[in-house]
Amino acid sequence: MPVWQRILEDINDPNFVIISAAEDTGGEAVAGPIFDAAKPSYVQIVDENHIISSAFHFVNVPSAAWVDEEGRIVRIDEGTYAKVHEIGEGDQKFQFGTDVYAPAVKDWIAKGAASEYVQPPAAVTGNIRALSADQHRADAAFRLGNLFRYHGRKEKAERYWDMAQALNPDSINFIRQNLTLSEEGSAGETFRKVVGDYAKEGKAYYRPLDLK
Amino acid sequence: MAYPELRYPFDETPIHADGQTTVLYQGNTIRLDETGSGAGLLIRPEDLPGVNGFELKPEGACFQDMCIPLSDRFFVAEDGRQWFDLTAFADLLEQPYVADEDERVWSFGEIPVKRESMMVDAMAPDFEVTDRQGNVVRMSDFKGKKTLIVTWSSW
Repeated sequence: MPVWQRILEDINDPNFVIISAAEDTGGEAVAGPIFDAAKPSYVQIVDENHIISSAFHFVNVPSAAWVDEEGRIVRIDEGTYAKVHEIGEGDQKFQFGTDVYAPAVKDWIAKGAASEYVQPPAAVTGNIRALSADQHRADAAFRLGNLFRYHGRKEKAERYWDMAQALNPDSINFIRQNLTLSEEGSAGETFRKVVGDYAKEGKAYYRPLDLK
Repeated sequence: MAYPELRYPFDETPIHADGQTTVLYQGNTIRLDETGSGAGLLIRPEDLPGVNGFELKPEGACFQDMCIPLSDRFFVAEDGRQWFDLTAFADLLEQPYVADEDERVWSFGEIPVKRESMMVDAMAPDFEVTDRQGNVVRMSDFKGKKTLIVTWSSW
């Protein structure tokens, strides 16, 4: 999050806006401190119901859409890392992310439609996931589960969260959100198996990041 | 990350007051004081704009510059009152929903016709959310600016 704030300050263009949405049913308790640490001046959303992911048909985080002045999406649904991150130590150390995404954003802000990173509408619509009726119904089930959670109704919350995952098994968001609110956590054995199965089935939770 | 303590941090509370019905749509929670008793979800016609933005006009159910013609089957007479059949309207629009009828809660997914401009012309959908300062934020608020919408999570 601090990286996006620095990028916003570097670009320093009053006609550039960042909307940062934390897809977190845990709400302000988990997302708030991360936002606060970044001292952000961009728009901050704690999106407990995953409204933004649903609107843009994202299935994982971090993801993003670039939207131009006319309201047209010019890039969408790529693993949106502002830099290469490194976690762990010794043999457990590994890297993820990329250093090419943020310069591409800066190029777009500077050059607009002339930026080489702007994609034509046909390429963008080709990258927007076409979801089935069941996958859209999953969003309704997920929010119903969240409502019951908010009212302390465990059995019903579990029922509708399970329904959401069954209706949209491609949603890494639903799977990891569920795991995050469990003892196992979002990066344990279950998640590793999900990611392995996803790859075996030839599915991708981001569009290819074809940036130079 | 693991936050098992946040799975159920809330005490059990009523979903809504006695006699009310709750509708979820696009992140909004709408409480309806009155609904019809027939099959599906029958709402007062005047509640429709507050539920999904559509307004009933002589030419049909209208949202912005789009109007969906409606036949009489969407209007249900019951005890001298007229109700609008919201679930029949959702079926017409192929709008998905999940209902917990025991608790009188209906959760609606997106209306496909509202998404067409994204799938066909790459136009950004006009979501509505509330920011951390309590302001309502809509995609349409940022017309005339370049906007980077980034999702992330604490996971």
